[in-house]
Amino acid sequence: MEPLILKQKSRRASGIGITPDMDLILVNLIDGLVTGLLLFMLSAGLTLIFSMMGVLNFAHASFYMLGAYFAFQISLYIGFWMGLLIAPLVVGVLGAGVERYGLRRVHQYGHVPELIFTFGLALLIEEVVQFIWGKNQMPYATPEILQFTAFSIAGNSIPAYKIFMIFISIAIFIGLLYVLTRTRVGMIIQAALTYPKTVEALGHNVPLIFMGVFGVGTALAGVAGVIAGPVLGTFPGMAFVLGSIVFVTIVIGGLGSLWGALVASLLIGWITTFSKAYNLRMEDLLTWAGFTKPEPIWDSAWRDLWSITSPQIADILPYILMVLILIFRPYGLFGKRDA
Amino acid sequence: MTDQFTSDPSKPAQRMRAGSMVIPLVPWGIAAVLLMVLPFIFTANSAITIMNQMAITIIFALAYNMLLGQGGMLSFGHAVYAGVGGFACVHIMNMDDFFAGIPLPLLPIFGGLMGMGLATIVGSFSTRKAGTVFAMISLGVGELIAACSVIIVAFFGGEEGISGDRTYGMPFFGVEFLQQIEVYYLIAAWLLISAALMYLYSRTPLGRMANAVRDNPERAEFLGYSARWVRFFSFVASGFFAGVAGALFAVNYEILTEENLNTTQSGLILLATFLGGVGFFFGPILGAIVFTLVQTVLSLQTELWGFYLGIVFVVTVMFFPGGLAGLIMMHVPAMRLGKLGRLGIPYLKTLGAGAVGCLGAAALIEMTFHLRHASAGDHSMTLYWITFDSHTMLPWIVAIAVTLIGFGIVRATAPALAEAWNDANTPDGAPR
Amino acid sequence: MSAALELDGLKKSFGQTEIIRGVDLSIGKGERHAIIGPNGAGKSTLFNLITGRFPQTEGAIRLHGQDLAGKAPFEINRMGLSRSFQITNIFPKMTVFENVRCSLLWSMGYRYNFWSMVGRSRALTKGTDEILDQINLTARRDLPAGVLSYAEQRALEIGITIAGGADVIMLDEPTAGMSHSETDYIVDLIRTVTTGKTLIMVEHDMGVVFGLADQISVLVYGEIIATGTPEAVRANPKVQEAYLGEALETH
Repeated sequence: MEPLILKQKSRRASGIGITPDMDLILVNLIDGLVTGLLLFMLSAGLTLIFSMMGVLNFAHASFYMLGAYFAFQISLYIGFWMGLLIAPLVVGVLGAGVERYGLRRVHQYGHVPELIFTFGLALLIEEVVQFIWGKNQMPYATPEILQFTAFSIAGNSIPAYKIFMIFISIAIFIGLLYVLTRTRVGMIIQAALTYPKTVEALGHNVPLIFMGVFGVGTALAGVAGVIAGPVLGTFPGMAFVLGSIVFVTIVIGGLGSLWGALVASLLIGWITTFSKAYNLRMEDLLTWAGFTKPEPIWDSAWRDLWSITSPQIADILPYILMVLILIFRPYGLFGKRDA
Repeated sequence: MTDQFTSDPSKPAQRMRAGSMVIPLVPWGIAAVLLMVLPFIFTANSAITIMNQMAITIIFALAYNMLLGQGGMLSFGHAVYAGVGGFACVHIMNMDDFFAGIPLPLLPIFGGLMGMGLATIVGSFSTRKAGTVFAMISLGVGELIAACSVIIVAFFGGEEGISGDRTYGMPFFGVEFLQQIEVYYLIAAWLLISAALMYLYSRTPLGRMANAVRDNPERAEFLGYSARWVRFFSFVASGFFAGVAGALFAVNYEILTEENLNTTQSGLILLATFLGGVGFFFGPILGAIVFTLVQTVLSLQTELWGFYLGIVFVVTVMFFPGGLAGLIMMHVPAMRLGKLGRLGIPYLKTLGAGAVGCLGAAALIEMTFHLRHASAGDHSMTLYWITFDSHTMLPWIVAIAVTLIGFGIVRATAPALAEAWNDANTPDGAPR
Repeated sequence: MSAALELDGLKKSFGQTEIIRGVDLSIGKGERHAIIGPNGAGKSTLFNLITGRFPQTEGAIRLHGQDLAGKAPFEINRMGLSRSFQITNIFPKMTVFENVRCSLLWSMGYRYNFWSMVGRSRALTKGTDEILDQINLTARRDLPAGVLSYAEQRALEIGITIAGGADVIMLDEPTAGMSHSETDYIVDLIRTVTTGKTLIMVEHDMGVVFGLADQISVLVYGEIIATGTPEAVRANPKVQEAYLGEALETH
């Protein structure tokens, strides 16, 4: 998730170290928020789908990638904004189609084959993307109208696109929350989440609801792809890079918990951002804890431990966090015991 | 394999039926002979390389199926156990004094123990639940360890990995494993031993309970077994054999890198195992053989092999969840009825036409790919040993015609095949 | 007769709702005890509490005098209590023979054994075949359990439940959804296979209850309103009022 931290280099160059600095903290809070919200846009859809259908959609991040590629292709002809509008719809329709013609068929075999199916789908989508667009990164860029500095904090400029990302994600969540809690459809969905059989008995078309939820969930992933593509890069590996983090996120949050997904997404966003921004060194930590550095260090079996820095391990911190959480809270932060 | 409980021989009525007692030795004998003579049939060095790769993949796939097929646990990070076993073995190869004291054929035991050790640690928290939770934990842990390979350089050697030399081991009856063929027999021997052990494991009380827990963990708990511990033991055993596979990889290639650990590798073994079929013991063996052939042979022919593999995999999951082994075992009832022969001609018609149609479709895909991605001005492409200009109409017309005709015949002959299938599976004289 | 199973002030709440509201019950060794009651009285919950499927909110459960608090189902099973399920709960993909054999493994001391072949133990095979014989499924021995008829699956369920040699057997509506002839068959089966064991069952069919049980407890709204012999319970005015009168009329 490196490219999100657009101003990383200049900040390091200005020589800000470990000293607490409110401005810098603010900058990183914004950066982490962007990452976290992006993660939540994926994990929210994934959680909705999981809690309703019991299926963990391994290909979820692939729909995110499709969102980025579709938006890129559309933006070539009719511009970024139409891409933002159309690409998620296309992705959502594709997702609904996958549910209708793929998952529903595999469903009869059980949850593990379902998971294997979505895994195969993820592989296939990556291959298809490579087939159509090739292996190289696409020149998908932020729209010109947003290529300016929104404001600066102590010399760190915050690009307008970042603010745009935050607003888009928050707007979508408010919309989602509204639909889920204030509309009739939302009520039915919520009921179907917990009592699918009862809802079906009441005459609602549960398979249609499932298909709709799957479509909306994947469309959400598509939106995430559209807005993240220009900053994180639009390339065939993008699904994989983000995908495993998203799965880790929902495990940390607790499978099936929307709040858990939100908290875990923001937590991961901030942890990775901060550990990249502040160069904490294991050497300092070990020295502080009273260990003496073995000399010569290059010959010691512990040399790797001593040379670890926080930016170096930033990307694996979510996994470490997951393992720790699973050991101490097997059901995740907000998971129900019987999930 | 001693028997703890013996019945009273004076009561013949209590003697068990012979069927469930005899472990079928014939297939194992055939396998052993086949492994012996294969290098005399395929003598080329490249063939031996492929066979080595195949044998290693078979062990790994069988180990993987201890989880997926027999235990119902879907792992997205099983390459880690093989990889770590392999890394440990390369380190042993590099410990001059120690390695000089052990013969190379014993090295896989260390790899196995390493894989088992790691599986014990990870399994202690990952096997609490099966299903989705287990799958996600396996993915996370797999990613974590793969990512560690660039951080813990002392063990994993960073991006370039670590390498060793197998020939520094203690000579084994004079053999120093300088030649590929010697390595082949080492791997083949381990293949036979590991496969037999894994097969026998599936016949032990723990192996049977693994199946029970897979099918109905709750019921198993009410029979006195902790589902968690049963899963844990399966996981540890699987880790051991994965480690053996990793060790053999180390012996064969003498180098291990991050690629041996990462999620791609884990995904590939899932692919191979599932394509072969998780429901039968021999499924992963078939899967590993076919998959290795596809990986080594098809990848030389086309850049798009991953694309085809993806399609085949998704189709398998959707329509043939039993994999290749399931497809084969589908024919057992017809065989018992002695009517398998009646399927021959209909199969030839439909599947032959289907194959032609697939080749046509593949040609279309290849040509589209060429049209889109070949460098500008490069119009000439070679397909099925024919070189032509991909920007002219003729090849397209031919490919489209072949595809349509092929699939057309499939459609036309499918009812006859279904008819023949019903016929072959109905005892003669029985009302249909 | 000392008690095989004792319930002492047992309570269970799900959220705000108290389902089991203080149950005291003592079931003697060798007794055939039926728990009856109207729908929603908490019979299945009581079963699930005793077998460790849910933890209780308050009170104690003692099996042969040993407290079961905090014990997992497999631990309770090892202490000699076995149960069947209201919804057939077998291993559908395994053969009938294997279904029964799985339930013999622990009690025959195999535990997590991974060094001996199950197929080679004569005692195991003999024991399994004996159970199959008792539940009349010998002819179905090598079929996958999933293809059996409903009544056969219920019989297999009972076979799995008793095979482990537990001395306290709990059956949850063993005749649910059966025809008359099937019911008669299963009742005979239960009577044979539980000889000399403590039997606790939940049952709706009054014919089965009065034919099989020598003690009956009536559970209404999470409380036991009467316990006694079939005659005593039948005559109990409280029971008449709450439940039985109506049920007897319809039977």
